Amino acid sequence: MIAVDILSDAFFAALAGIGFGAISDPPLRAFPYIALLAAVGHATRFCLMTFFGVDIAMGSLAASVIIGFGSIWLGKNARSPMTVLYIPALLPMIPGKFAYNMVFSQIMFLQTMNNPQERTLYMDMFFSNCMVTCSVIFMLAVGATLPMFIFPKRAHSITRKKKG
Amino acid sequence: MEHKNKSLLDTGKFIAEYSSHMMGCGVHTSRVIRSAKRIGEAFGYVVKISVLQKSIILTLQDAESKERYNEVVEIPALPISFEHNAELSALSWETYDEHLSLEEVKERYRKIVEAPAIHPLFVLILAALANASFCALFGGDWCSRGIVFSSTLAGMFLKQQMAAAHINHYIVFALSAFVASLCASISLIFDTTAEIALTTSVLYLVPGVPLINGVIDILEGHTLNGFARLAQAALLIVCIAVGLSFTLMLVKDNLL
Repeated sequence: MIAVDILSDAFFAALAGIGFGAISDPPLRAFPYIALLAAVGHATRFCLMTFFGVDIAMGSLAASVIIGFGSIWLGKNARSPMTVLYIPALLPMIPGKFAYNMVFSQIMFLQTMNNPQERTLYMDMFFSNCMVTCSVIFMLAVGATLPMFIFPKRAHSITRKKKG
Repeated sequence: MEHKNKSLLDTGKFIAEYSSHMMGCGVHTSRVIRSAKRIGEAFGYVVKISVLQKSIILTLQDAESKERYNEVVEIPALPISFEHNAELSALSWETYDEHLSLEEVKERYRKIVEAPAIHPLFVLILAALANASFCALFGGDWCSRGIVFSSTLAGMFLKQQMAAAHINHYIVFALSAFVASLCASISLIFDTTAEIALTTSVLYLVPGVPLINGVIDILEGHTLNGFARLAQAALLIVCIAVGLSFTLMLVKDNLL
């Protein structure tokens, strides 16, 4: 049952990566790689969070490091810069729900100004949503960019045809 | 000598167009700078370039004669395109490695830029599928997934049509979020995971690319550009929330 959960998570993440990536017009040859990276990344985060009790920011960091290294490794085959592979692969992990819940708790805070108890509740919700949104987005980008800092030469010449 | 001047002028104009196109279609700042410098170097010029959110300032200097060419170019608002990102990066290496003439580089650039993008109908279906799988990831059942699929079709179709009509993109985002979530609110009359269907129905609009690009820019020291991208993305998220809140107020009378 656990294996089915993980596989279905990977499958739906791959679909989501391809679909949200397609909005930003990636090269057709990159689609299989994007699907693979999105699936592996999201399944990693799912496993870490469900079975090992890792928090969402650290889980996202681990997933995005894997996606980053995957994209530097697969980029040569796809003749695409790293960002073309890893940004679509990261899209299913963007905390969109937390982002607009942040706006909602702000609206509700302003509407319940006269009720100290509810006001505190919404203040609390605003900060926790804000914290998750900012740290997850930051961790996603940091993790995926890390390989670029470790192997700058390879990362910058990924679209070059011959080895210089 | 006159011939040489013309070449400096033409190369400068081309690099200005090339870098502004790259910046416009959502390439992160350091790649734009690197690629522009690489092309300049291939023709024997030193390129000094300053990239801002709305414009690019660049200077080309002939390494031998010390002649200079200056240009300030506005960055056009183009749809994000990873295809252009990949192909134009490859073009900079081709120019550098294969010693192409300027005419040839321009020809290849024109081919890349004019190549048709993925068909909008295909994008529409893929985006709807993606949002339905998002609903699955959040634990929605098959009924909710179907509802999210069809409401994303409606919202995304509206977004494409309004974008084609050049309507202000804040309005586009708020209206598409409203329509998609209104369609998804039909789930309330079925025995299904209505809450999940409602909240995931607008997730296809979240501007993930500028969010990630923004952080990359900040990490690489292009802090101003990074924050400019993040600010744009944050405004779009507020628009999504506004659109969704209209639906929630209509059908549920409660936001959270």
